Amino acid sequence: MHYTQRTATLAVTTVLLLGVLASGETTRKEYRFKVGHRASLSIINQYGPISVKSGSKKEVVVVAVLYSDKVEIDQTRSGNRLALASHLLDGADANLGRVDYEVQVPADASVILHSSTGSVHVEKIRGDIEVEGNTANVDVRDVSSTHVHIKTLNGAVTLANLREGHVEVTSVSGDVSMTAVNGPMVHVNSSSGKINYDGDFGGSGEYSLTSHTGDIEATAPSYASIDVVVRSAHGKVINDFILQPEHMAFAAITGSAFAGTIGNAASSVKLLSFSGRIHLKKR
Amino acid sequence: MTMTCKEFERDLPLLEGVHSLEQDAHLRSCPACSDLVSDLNAISQQARLLEPSVGPSPRVWNSIEITLRHEGLIGQTPHEQVLRPIALGWRLRWLLPVAAVLLLAVGVLVRNRRAGEPFVATQQSSVSNSAGSAAVTSEAALMASQDQQLLNTVAARMPSMRDAYAADLRTVNAYVHDAEQSAHGNPNDEVSQQYLMNAYEQRAMVYEMALDRSLP
Repeated sequence: MHYTQRTATLAVTTVLLLGVLASGETTRKEYRFKVGHRASLSIINQYGPISVKSGSKKEVVVVAVLYSDKVEIDQTRSGNRLALASHLLDGADANLGRVDYEVQVPADASVILHSSTGSVHVEKIRGDIEVEGNTANVDVRDVSSTHVHIKTLNGAVTLANLREGHVEVTSVSGDVSMTAVNGPMVHVNSSSGKINYDGDFGGSGEYSLTSHTGDIEATAPSYASIDVVVRSAHGKVINDFILQPEHMAFAAITGSAFAGTIGNAASSVKLLSFSGRIHLKKR
Repeated sequence: MTMTCKEFERDLPLLEGVHSLEQDAHLRSCPACSDLVSDLNAISQQARLLEPSVGPSPRVWNSIEITLRHEGLIGQTPHEQVLRPIALGWRLRWLLPVAAVLLLAVGVLVRNRRAGEPFVATQQSSVSNSAGSAAVTSEAALMASQDQQLLNTVAARMPSMRDAYAADLRTVNAYVHDAEQSAHGNPNDEVSQQYLMNAYEQRAMVYEMALDRSLP
């Protein structure tokens, strides 16, 4: 009797799930494009996630799931430059206009992704990455030797394992979290969002983490080699390291500003906030 | 042969209120020169109200002469009038400041005409502290007006996003305000300049994303 009851429950659940899918009228579309070296892919999607990963060397594969017939996909191609856009039709809203993108690109391809609310995920590519989103959460990981440009209004930004890259992040109120991010230039500009960095500030780079009111927490190893300047005009600053003193253009004020070097000072690190709290932590 | 504006202006300092037929015809046909003569007459009338004063030093007259020669208003012909302090009786001493003002005004007007700048803009070149404060206030009002236009555009295209953009603008405008105050108070501080650049970058990003036609 117990077995019969389990089977019945499973059957009902399956029927209901199929019913939901059927009523949603989702449509799966697949696009394949043969491309050469350094292809460029642009995707504009108002509602729904975009995920980009490294795939075949000579082909771009796009799988799109459309959640209704109130949205269609416009595609254009000019040589190695591809562009896809979710075109909202009359009556489309956040649910009916949703499109989920799963994309595979050659590792050397560049991607330009615009998303309003859906999340954006990019990993394991070596081409340039440009992401723009309103409330979309952005996640970029496992990329190297590339330019990464991210702009969000409120979406959180997560960067992990970005090596030898130029990284620029601008966010009004989204929190920015970086783990193992290093390169010639790492620049984060936030208004009220928090900035969290956990890495080694390596690569002999220029690191600039600035905010208006958001707190900044930077964690570095004891062997870090940095020339650091930390200043908060109206907030508190905390330092876990013993710094070699250095000449500064402004006065070192206990609790508000400090500067100095650690090790050989290979990288330049600026942690600046107008009224946020700044903590340079030792791992 | 019809007189040109250049010819009219060249002879202007010599007119002393009397016009030839040719000059009259030019004034009737040329609004610019007509306005110029009207302005100079107004200056002359106002200058008569100036109290008699000791005449300018020879250095002043020399400077005026150099300026007028540079502008081409006076030349090297034998009949040119070389401006020198004239020994006048006490009744005519008021003519000295009047003449100085008139000649300077003519030189300024001619320079501005050639530069294409309006006469009024030259007279308003000095800005008082109160005018500077008014400029800051008007700039803030302009920013507010621009923000409202932006929000109206967003509301027209995507009403559901309007409130979110309004909140974002409040956030970045607070940043801009604090950064500008910091930069004005510490003009030589590199960090304050960095704050300002970052704040402007934030504001520009909000505008760019709001107006980006690819997104709601």
